[in-house]
Amino acid sequence: MAQGGYRPTAPQNNTGVSAVGGAGSKDGQPNRYISGGTYGEGKALMQQQQGAAMAQAPAPTGGGSNPAPQMPELQTLTDNIGGKYSDVTDGGDFGSPVGSAAMPKNISADTRAAENDMMTRRYLPDLVHAASFPDAPDSFKRFVNYLASK
Amino acid sequence: MSSAAWLPGSLFDNIDKFANSLGYQNAAIVMELSMIPWKSPEERDTFITSITGDDVKGGTEKNYIKNFRG
Repeated sequence: MAQGGYRPTAPQNNTGVSAVGGAGSKDGQPNRYISGGTYGEGKALMQQQQGAAMAQAPAPTGGGSNPAPQMPELQTLTDNIGGKYSDVTDGGDFGSPVGSAAMPKNISADTRAAENDMMTRRYLPDLVHAASFPDAPDSFKRFVNYLASK
Repeated sequence: MSSAAWLPGSLFDNIDKFANSLGYQNAAIVMELSMIPWKSPEERDTFITSITGDDVKGGTEKNYIKNFRG
């Protein structure tokens, strides 16, 4: 009976195939005896294979033409790193003598202007109406006048 | 406008107290804090005092007395 042939349903698992041949291993292709040469040639070729070890990559010795840059030591949050950032408490009202008065005005100024404007546009009509109440205190009227003048 | 009485603890009263205690420039947060359903004007005033470290500003005692009587 005929064997083999076209078998599309045969398992096609190739995961066990070695990249260096059927007798390969992690150490590379094995030495093979090559026959068919003159007398002694097979032995000589076998010895040549055994003695022809792959060259190893040279170990890094340092001091090469392109050495790795020397990085400074890591700093902690509270280390004095010098320069214009002389003290981590600069700009705060504690620690460094350079307090919040030295900060740029756009940092220390009111940053909720957009929210204030939105609130004013949304509620000002009602606030103006409430300011017209007979018992509305003057302090409330002053606040409404402040918003209306913005 | 019969409902135009200035009642303590009302939204507008809250706005008055927060605005005058926290500053007019904080209008947005004044509105947000004023909309909190405070249990009482005293609770609200305690909160203001705790964050400002000062007495509550705004309004007049006259308003309270007048509305309480009314």
